[in-house]
Amino acid sequence: MSAPEDDRDHHHPAPMSDVEVRARALEELLREKGLVDEGFIDAVVSAYANDIGPMNGARVVARAWVDAEYKKRLLADATAAIAELGYGGPQGEHMVVVENTPTVHNVVVCTLCSCYPWPVLGLPPRWYKSAAYRSRMVREPRVLLREMGLDLPESVEIRVWDSSAEIRYLVLPERPAGTEGLDAEALASRLTRDAMIGTARP
Amino acid sequence: MTIERGAAAEVAQMAGPAALPRRNGELVFEAPWQGRAFGMALGVVQRLGIPWREFQQRLIAEIGARPGAPYYDCWLAALERLVVERGVTSLAEVAAAQRRVRHDSS
Repeated sequence: MSAPEDDRDHHHPAPMSDVEVRARALEELLREKGLVDEGFIDAVVSAYANDIGPMNGARVVARAWVDAEYKKRLLADATAAIAELGYGGPQGEHMVVVENTPTVHNVVVCTLCSCYPWPVLGLPPRWYKSAAYRSRMVREPRVLLREMGLDLPESVEIRVWDSSAEIRYLVLPERPAGTEGLDAEALASRLTRDAMIGTARP
Repeated sequence: MTIERGAAAEVAQMAGPAALPRRNGELVFEAPWQGRAFGMALGVVQRLGIPWREFQQRLIAEIGARPGAPYYDCWLAALERLVVERGVTSLAEVAAAQRRVRHDSS
């Protein structure tokens, strides 16, 4: 056999590195012992994309709904008010919160790339990074919002905020009618990521 | 098995040396095994019903002990240590599983 490497490569084009071997071995052991199951690992990774982050933003918004003093601080200096709740870090450093009212609806975009306040909203949804969203939200926000399921009356002014590396925006939606009896935790659970980007209402 | 949201938020918010590697906010896995190792740690901690900091402390120790080592190499080492110290498995079992994987792949 003149080239044993070739023979091995035929079956395994990329030999496993030591660390890959260790990772695979550990996973097999943990599976045997029932500590991780098929699918859970993938679910964890994708959950980080969808669920975990927005919960932080939801707590911020819910707190502002139930605590007028907090809301004042949040609108005056969002970075500091968000840090009060323990959220922040790189890319959440320069936060600005924009408040929806009966006559103004705010929506966030990043026309340049995909700047996004991830400490409060987690990972951006795929469409947030799409060229169509980035250009159309500036050009024809009312039409695009309607396509996304949010039909705003003509009387409501739409303000589009362009995120950048320096400033990241979070929308403070209006508190839904009929939620007077709910506490902050219950209110937070009603909030969605899209409501805090401004492409939906809670 | 579903993900506990409280614990998961704790993972996302880790600061200092244990902070998860990100690029523009997104978790960065440089190879598939890194994502697997990430998910494994969350699964193990949840199944064992132990606080996340039990893993986090081992992760910080590994990072401190091996300056410059890739983050998820340290993560995997911390996880191996956790499951052995918690009695889920033994060093001998881990070594045997590694031999098996190496054998199957060669």
